[in-house]
Amino acid sequence: MTAALTAEGLHTYYGKSHILHGVSLEVAEGKITALLGRNGAGKTTTLRSLMGLTPAREGKITIFGEDTTRWPTFRVAAAGVGYVPEGRRIFANLSVEENLMVPLERGGPWTVERIYQLFPRLAERKQNRGRQLSGGEQEMLSIGRALLLNPKLLILDEPSQGLAPLIVREVFRIVQQMKAEGISVLLVEQNARMSLEIADNAYVLDDGIVVYSGPARELAADEARVRALAGASAEEWT
Amino acid sequence: MQLVLFNVTNGLIIGAFYVLMALGLSLILNLSNVINFAHGNFLALGGYLAYTLTPTLGYWGALLVAPLLTALIGLAVERLMIRRVYNRDPVYSLLLTFGFAFVMQDIARYVWGPNGLPLGLPDFLSQPISAELFFVTWYRVFMVFVVIVVVLGLFAFLRYTRVGVRIRAGTLDLETVASLGVNISFLRTFNFALGCFLAGLSGVLAAGQIGLNPNMGDDLLMPSFIAIIVGGVGSLIGTLFGGLLIGMAAALTTVFYPSASEAVIYAIMMLVLLFRPRGFMGEEGMMS
Ligand SMILES: Nc1ncnc2c1ncn2[C@@H]1O[C@H](COP(=O)(O)OP(=O)(O)OP(=O)(O)O)[C@@H](O)[C@H]1O
Ligand SMILES: [Mg+2]
Repeated sequence: MTAALTAEGLHTYYGKSHILHGVSLEVAEGKITALLGRNGAGKTTTLRSLMGLTPAREGKITIFGEDTTRWPTFRVAAAGVGYVPEGRRIFANLSVEENLMVPLERGGPWTVERIYQLFPRLAERKQNRGRQLSGGEQEMLSIGRALLLNPKLLILDEPSQGLAPLIVREVFRIVQQMKAEGISVLLVEQNARMSLEIADNAYVLDDGIVVYSGPARELAADEARVRALAGASAEEWT
Repeated sequence: MQLVLFNVTNGLIIGAFYVLMALGLSLILNLSNVINFAHGNFLALGGYLAYTLTPTLGYWGALLVAPLLTALIGLAVERLMIRRVYNRDPVYSLLLTFGFAFVMQDIARYVWGPNGLPLGLPDFLSQPISAELFFVTWYRVFMVFVVIVVVLGLFAFLRYTRVGVRIRAGTLDLETVASLGVNISFLRTFNFALGCFLAGLSGVLAAGQIGLNPNMGDDLLMPSFIAIIVGGVGSLIGTLFGGLLIGMAAALTTVFYPSASEAVIYAIMMLVLLFRPRGFMGEEGMMS
């Protein structure tokens, strides 16, 4: 089994505060890897380090066999890494159509037409500005935007955050569909239960340290641990 | 009446220059957070390049090529200097371009001399459009026409092309543009060059009206900043509106209180800062 992404011993700081203390993880090719942890555990920081948005001060990142540790963000993305950031980060002033014009055109199966097929709601709202969309529509746009890059690896940061239960299910279904398309997925979630249902492997992060790594099924079986991970908010949905 | 009409056309033309200058400044400010104090010198550079090129290329060739060359020089300046300070406090880029403005001015003085130079125009452009409107030459009509075409072209570019949409997206959230695989380093370079193209073009147009001198851009620089503030930082439509408003206000004040024509634009800026700090069409919080 080869790895789409390997991170070894990442140390990341915001200014002087030391956030990641030697985080190592691996995303297996064609699999879904869940990265879980409580609020403030360092999940977003880990993803930002992988994307080169907040570069790690120490450690090594390998993506598809290339050492990307010092690469600028756009180069990491252009190598085939789709990133759906926390809070979706839709371009609020731009229409749906324009939002979909931004990503680099990497060749592959994903085209704007296919995005509209996958999310018919976006097709209806083509002319609407980003800020006029509902949370669910924004999430779809953010995922669609990342897919247009034709990624081989998709990184999602809390895609279910703040969405209604029905839409949350839809988002998880899409993530599974991506795996079926052969895309490797790294999924950060607060919703531990649902993530572990679809994930193959899992990591748990606490205070910038990996405290669990192993098969998702094994973690899911550890009821006490899952309960500790799933905050009250996540509990409501299950 | 003729006096009023004369000043209205004057206001339109001055406003058109402010608009071209301010749009370029605005593009650079919005995407890269750089306040380009050398922008007026790129304007002068455009004018001087047209002066040098006219004997070989003729007026029309120079009108086209001089702004392109200005853009090319802007591109080099961005690659060699400006990009180095992007990740620092905006004060760095402000001081850097402020210093570079003086360097550019002295280079222009050294190459083309300290005295004013005229830019030759095709004959028919210097004719008045009619006997009654003797003060309106075809050249004035032509300038306004060029500015309208260029501004429409710029807005169409920003609206319909991928690169244009990326520039607008980057104005809102450059980090996310980068995470979508777009080479933001090229994007900023291109955008800077585009701003310099607009400055160079205003330089060629201005040279035909007021002639050339090494500090010809200085008088346009401050009003262009004011146009951006009045229109609202972050909004190009606002900049367009601000430029026209400032130009008109200055020109009309000239009719009634000539001595206040300069003060009036600063007064407008002060009023905006006091009562509508984000400008007429600016994004909430852009100024803070
Ligand atoms: N820009 C920043 N500057 C300084 N500290 C930050 C910054 N962003 C996050 N932090 C701190 O870094 C730590 C890890 O934050 P991070 O956002 O990575 O956590 P997270 O696991 O994604 O949490 P959440 O589930 O709330 O999204 C937190 O203590 C947070 O306060
Ligand atoms: Mg987070």
